[in-house]
Order: sequence, then C-alpha cells, then structure tokens
Amino acid sequence: MNHRTSRQAGIGSRLFTGIAFAAVATAPFAQADKLVIEAGRIIQNSGTEIENGVIVVEDGRIVAIGPAAEVEKPWDAPVVGGPELVAFPGFIEAHSNRGMDRPNENIDVAPFLDVRDSIDPINLYFEDCLRWGVTTINVQQGNDTVVAAKGRIVHPTGMTVEEMTVRPNYGLKLSAAPKRGNSRATQAQALRGAFGDLQRYLEDVVADARQGGDLARREALYQGRDMEGEKAKGRAMGGSTWKVDGLELIPRGAIDEQQEPLLELVEGRYDAFVWCGSPRDVHLAIDIATQNGFLDRTTLVLDSSCWKAADVIAAAGLDVILQGSQMDTETDPVTGEETETFVPGVFAEKGITFALSSENASSNSLWFQAARAVAHGLDRAAALDAVTTTPAAILGLGDQVGSLEVGKLADILLLSGDPLSSQSWVEHAFIEGNHVYDRSKDVRNKYIFEGQQPLGAGSASPQGVESVGVVEESNDDEDAEEK
Amino acid sequence: MIVSTLAAACAAVLFSGPVAGPVIGGVATDDYINGVASDDQETKRSWTISADAIYTADGSVIENGFIRVQDGKIVAMGPGGPSGGDVIRVGAITPGLIDLSLRVAASWNTVEQGSEVTANMRMADAVDLFDEDWQRALRGGVTTALATPLDRNVIGGLGVALKTGGEPTIEARQVAADVVLRGCVGSLPSSGNRPAFQRPNSIFNRRPTTRMGVEWEARKAFYDAMVAAADESKSFPGAEQLQAAMAGELPFMVQAATTQDIRTTLFLKDEFGIPNLILDSAAEAWKEPQMVQRSGASVVLPPFTWDGRTDVDGAAMPWNTAAGLAELGVTFALSGHGSSEPDQRLSMQPLYAMRGGLDFDTALASVTRVPAEMIGISDRVGTLAIGKDADLCLWSGVPFEATSAVVGVMLEGDLVVDPRD
Repeated sequence: MNHRTSRQAGIGSRLFTGIAFAAVATAPFAQADKLVIEAGRIIQNSGTEIENGVIVVEDGRIVAIGPAAEVEKPWDAPVVGGPELVAFPGFIEAHSNRGMDRPNENIDVAPFLDVRDSIDPINLYFEDCLRWGVTTINVQQGNDTVVAAKGRIVHPTGMTVEEMTVRPNYGLKLSAAPKRGNSRATQAQALRGAFGDLQRYLEDVVADARQGGDLARREALYQGRDMEGEKAKGRAMGGSTWKVDGLELIPRGAIDEQQEPLLELVEGRYDAFVWCGSPRDVHLAIDIATQNGFLDRTTLVLDSSCWKAADVIAAAGLDVILQGSQMDTETDPVTGEETETFVPGVFAEKGITFALSSENASSNSLWFQAARAVAHGLDRAAALDAVTTTPAAILGLGDQVGSLEVGKLADILLLSGDPLSSQSWVEHAFIEGNHVYDRSKDVRNKYIFEGQQPLGAGSASPQGVESVGVVEESNDDEDAEEK
Repeated sequence: MIVSTLAAACAAVLFSGPVAGPVIGGVATDDYINGVASDDQETKRSWTISADAIYTADGSVIENGFIRVQDGKIVAMGPGGPSGGDVIRVGAITPGLIDLSLRVAASWNTVEQGSEVTANMRMADAVDLFDEDWQRALRGGVTTALATPLDRNVIGGLGVALKTGGEPTIEARQVAADVVLRGCVGSLPSSGNRPAFQRPNSIFNRRPTTRMGVEWEARKAFYDAMVAAADESKSFPGAEQLQAAMAGELPFMVQAATTQDIRTTLFLKDEFGIPNLILDSAAEAWKEPQMVQRSGASVVLPPFTWDGRTDVDGAAMPWNTAAGLAELGVTFALSGHGSSEPDQRLSMQPLYAMRGGLDFDTALASVTRVPAEMIGISDRVGTLAIGKDADLCLWSGVPFEATSAVVGVMLEGDLVVDPRD
C-alpha cells in the first residue's frame, strides 16, 4: 500500500484495527486517497439536490461535485455507489456525553479536566453513530456539573482519541440547572462563585507580582509549564465585561492551568454550552454569560420544558440545542389533564436557530429525530438543517462539514433511500474520504434488525441458527446478492 | 380509486341521499352531509372526515375518500365525498388502534398476590379508569385496549376490553368483559419471592421462587381444574375459568418473553389441550418460529427497541421478527405497553416492524383487525365498515412513515383529539 502521507498511514492502521475490534469492516479501497462516489441522487443540503451525481474526493476532501455528465472522474480513483443510492452529508450531533467512560465529574468546577481522558474509542456508541450515519460529535461532559471539563469534537472512528479528534479543547459545559445535591440557589452561587474565584485568583497574582513576589512564576516552573515564547508574554487579559488591573504584568504562562480555561472563556476564546434543565434556568444562564462576557459564544442546551423561555432566548439572540423528547408533556396539577407541546415547533416559530440532538432520546439516530420533527409539523428543510448545517455552524465547523460542497470534508453517507424515510438504511459511510461503514458487514446490525446471531456469540449455536426458517431465508438472500 | 366492493357499496349509500329525498330528520341534506346537523360543538354527534387515503384494515384502501359518522357509528364511507363546511380533512384514516398489552395500571395492586392462581379475579372489577395512561394511549391513537391482571402471580384472572376514553365508568367503556384468562410465566411471577425458613412473615415468603416453580403452579392449576371437572366436590374458585380455557371458550393469554418461557407455555398448551393460546410479549418467538407456527398459538409482540432488548425479561427481539412470523402465517399483533415515550407508542410499532421487512397491510392489521379478532371483539372494532364503532385514527400523512404522526382521534363519534388544533 502506498500511503502518500503519514496521516493516511495512520488512518490505514486505524481501519485495520477497526476490523479486528470494532466489528466495523471496511472495503479494500478504504485507504485510497482518491475516491469517486456515484449516487442516483445527491442531497447536498436541505435546498440543493443533484440527480445522477458524482462526488470526487481527494485527500479526505470533496474536490468536485455535480451531475455525472459534467464532472470529470479521475481515471485512477476507485468508484463506489450506484444509481439506487442517495448521497447525504453525515449527520452532526451538536452535543452529547455519550461515548465517555463516565459522563460526569464530582468536582463542581473542573474546567482543567478534559473529556479526552474519558472518551472510550471502542464504546458501542461510536459504532452506533456509524450505523445511523452520525459522522461528527461534539462530546461535552454530562449535565450534572457546575463548570465541566473541556470538550472535544470527534469523528466516531479511530482506536485512539487522537485519531478520532476533529477539534481538541473545544467548548466548556456549564450547568444552570442544579447539580445533584445542590439546591437551585446553591447552584447559582456555585456558578457565580466560579467566576468570582477566578477574579480573586487573578487579583492575588497581580498583587503578589506588585509586591515583588514570584509565586505564580515559581509555581508554573514547578508544574513544568512553558514559560518561553508566546506563553511567556503578558496580555491584556480579562473579559469584555470585567478586567483585573495590572494583569498585563503577568506572563500568560504563569496563570495556573486550573484557572486558564475559565479565563479563556471570559476572554471570549472558548465556546460555552450551558445546560438548562427547566425554563427557570434560562435566566441564570443568560445572566452568567452576560456578566462574564461570553454571551455571544454561548449555546444553550435545553430540556424539553425550556420552550417556555423561548421569548427570553430569542431576545438574547442565542442558538439552542434541543435535548430529550420533542414532545413536552405537562400535567395539570388539578385536573390531571396532560398537554403536549411540540418543542422544535416553538423555536422555529420564534426564529431561534436550533439543532436537534439524540441525547436522552430513544435512539442514537438523528435521521429519526428529524423525521419525527417533520411528522409533528416542522418543514422538511428546517428538520434537515437541524441535524446537518445548523449543528455544524454552532460548532464553528460550517465550512468543514454539514453539507456536500467542494472544499468540505468528505463525510458522506450513501443511503438506500430518502434520509427521512423509515425504510432507508445507511449502506455506506465515509469519513474524510475513508470508507468506515458498510452495512453488509455490520454484524450487530444484522443481529438487531435481521435476527442473525454472529457465529460464536453467546448461546447462538449454529444449530440454533439453522433451525430457524426466518434466518435461513435472509441468509439465502444475502448469498444470492453476493453471487 | 375503489379497491373494495365494500367501498363501492358505501359510495352508493351516499349518493343515493339526494335521490331519496332532500330532507333527513328535518335537516337539509347538504347540511346533513356536511355534518352541521348539530351546532353545539360539545354535543356534536355527526361528522364527516375526508382523507387522501382511508385504510379499512380488511385489505382495501379508499383513495381520496370520506367517512361519515353519526351517533358513534360509521354510517357512510366511500370515495370522493363532500368538502368545505366543517368537513375535516386529514392525510389518512385508519381504524382506531387496538392494544392487547397496554399495561395500563399494571402495577402491584392490579394482580391478586394472595395466591398464585386467581383465575376467577376480574380486571373489570378493579381497573382504574382515571389512570393517565388512558389519556396517553388515546392521544396516541389507541381506542381499544385490553386490561389484564399482570404480572406477580401465575394465573392472574380475567381481562377486560375497554375503550380508552369516554365516560369514566366500566359500563360506558367496556367493549367486552372477561375476554381472556391471563397467565404469566418467566421470572416476574417469582421475582421478590423468598422461601420461608421459619414462620412466614410476609406475602413474599412463598413459592414459587424459580421458573420451575412458576410452571408447576400453572400445571397444577390446570390439573386441579381437570379433576374438578370430573368431580364436582373438588371444585375451587377459578376452576370454571381454567376449564373454559381448556375447552377453548376463553383465550389463555400468557406473558412469555424468552425462548424458554415460550417453550414452557407451548408445553402447557400441549399437555392440557388449550386450543386458544395467546403468547404475550413473545419477543423471542423469532428464535423458534416453526415451533410457534406448529402450535397454532397466536402472538402479541412487545414494543421494538433500538438495541433489540425488550422490556420484559430482557428478551431480545430483532426488527424482522414480525416479518418472519408473517411469512410463516403466525397470527400476531403488535403492542405498545403503554410507554409514555411518544416514540414507543403503538402507532410507531408498525414502522419498526416494516423497517424489519413487514408489508404495510399486515402491519396495519396487526394493530387493528387482528388484535380485535384475537379477543373476539371484531364485530364492533378493528376495521372500518358501516355499522362499526366510529373509532378512527387520523394521520398527517401515510401511516407508519417516520414523517407521519397521529394528528387526530375519534372515539365512538367523539372527536377527542381534533386534528385542526
């Protein structure tokens, strides 16, 4: 195999181990640095479609896309797809704590931690993502927190977190809803306190430096931090809403690494994802973000009931990620009558940009979330946007993923039909041009959907399989296809 | 397009209206057809609903048709029909859905735990009509449901088929009482039980504590009932119901999820010659489908899940289970188990079954006509035909597509969920 770059070599070995451990097999052309994908229908985004189209991929990116007659196909590129398939951009999970060893940290304020150390690359969740066509995931710590660990955007393939990573050190989770054991007031105080502590820490550092002390520097050296170059320079630090006088005297590298992520948030250099578990949390979320200068980098992560705060959210101009059931059910405390509200519909009506997510929903599949939103009255384009281009934009990846365009990453699904049809399947998935999923080789999919036990799994003896007429049937079908 | 001759006959009924006379019951025919005979919304007893497609659940489809409802019954249906006025237009109409395993109020106090065998207990005497699960089921398109005593003893008693809405009295809601004898095998009837080493001090100090014990209790009950049939002096409360089950007069509906529990139940069926057996929550029927087929038992499948693990005894059920059973000609119904999660409701189950390969007609029948037939109430519900109860499920689009939803529900002529809201 002729790998042109070391990155490609890395991906090659990733795929090989993928066969062995993750049971997601790949085709022989997986390592190709060029690829031609043909599809009877290419849905570039919710508004643009191509009949009988071709996508040319080179070095992990889309270099050409258009009708078959107009696109020149490189002679040396393998060709995949077919006229019966529909090409669609990979779905994007705007926010999830799935795939982590444990999603929550005991420490209230823990922005110095990193989800990198908790993401489990062979977690079944990532395999499910491929099965359902989710190709980009924003992994953030769970909601049971005050200020959580640094998040990370990943692809669901790779044997190490580094291989999976799309963007490291991305985003901080804050929770405006009470962490377990906290009252609402305690939570609010802890959240405000986190920023108060930061401010006091910075003031102490400045005061120490002014008195000729060298504590921060010595601590930094002791911790082995880089005190040279860019890191050593003083900067006018502090946010747009509050500043600490004299902070520019302090070399950047001298700032305690436990404090730095929160400082970066205040400086407007980090995105914030603020969890609101009920409508009354929204005010606190907006207040904290406003006071500390990161409102314009804030995305609210909302429980179903938060539709009631839609006006406040619209006034603050925030984007939202909808978590949980699309139907919010309220019970009248007197009559016991239940009322259902279609949550995405409320946000659509108020003109709020929203992404759908599968967190806490009944499945990991974003196509299903989008389809159910259409069922309840959202228009198709809005539903498709909410699982592709909108989450991409929220994550700052609008120019990289979310639609099929020249220059974007080749994160492409080949579906057996329309993306929102209940009869459609992800037949193939490509991430950065690598063939990472093939339904015909997905053993677990065959078990869950077709009742075929993998050989040697559990109590499924070959005798058990043979005695079952249904299974025999589907085996026969497949043999026929292969012939 | 008319697919059925039935539909053609219905059309004739409608179009003969103006010929027969312009006035019916003192109301102009047009108004009658348009359903404005009553001006009071609360007491409105007649409706006309039109749809892109009406699925009657007996194999026919009326495209672009209407259904006319009067005093709780379907009085006319056919292609075309009136528009305007207060005619309600929806994407599709199916019969109201029927759930044989709704699990409404299926908690500790709905089954008698004083004994393992309480075949004479009647759910009709105990069902809680104010439970919120009824509302949820109704909103999800379920208009008839079977309530049974589950699942903490072995033979719980008699189930009752009820409408999911209307006046909250048993008399008003009951479609038929004592329609099945409910049994339960598997781990649940013995869960929580513990042997008493000294003096028993709670109801849980009892047997059975294993699947073997559960099976023994069931077998003993049927044996005792056989003995009682021959010798009146050996009779006991419940013997009559067990005898009726053995005679085939009363379907015996047994919760049996895993393969071993399905086997246990089929052995019981063989041993005591129980002609009419319904395997409820039979998730693992797919593992030995021919055995189920040979037995002649019918099946109620539990809700499908995205990881294949169902909610009873952790039994595994792949999505092609329904398709596989259909291929073998096994009679089966789908059920929703009264999940509060909208995605798991009965109206969603055919979607999953179809994703597993089941055809539309069988999928529709498995939530309407088939369950009605299984418990003998198909004279009133389960299909759309003139004279049947006006229980309608109104859809935004093609039923069972992921992009369609239940937008309206009519129960015995009352528009309980209005699609225009």
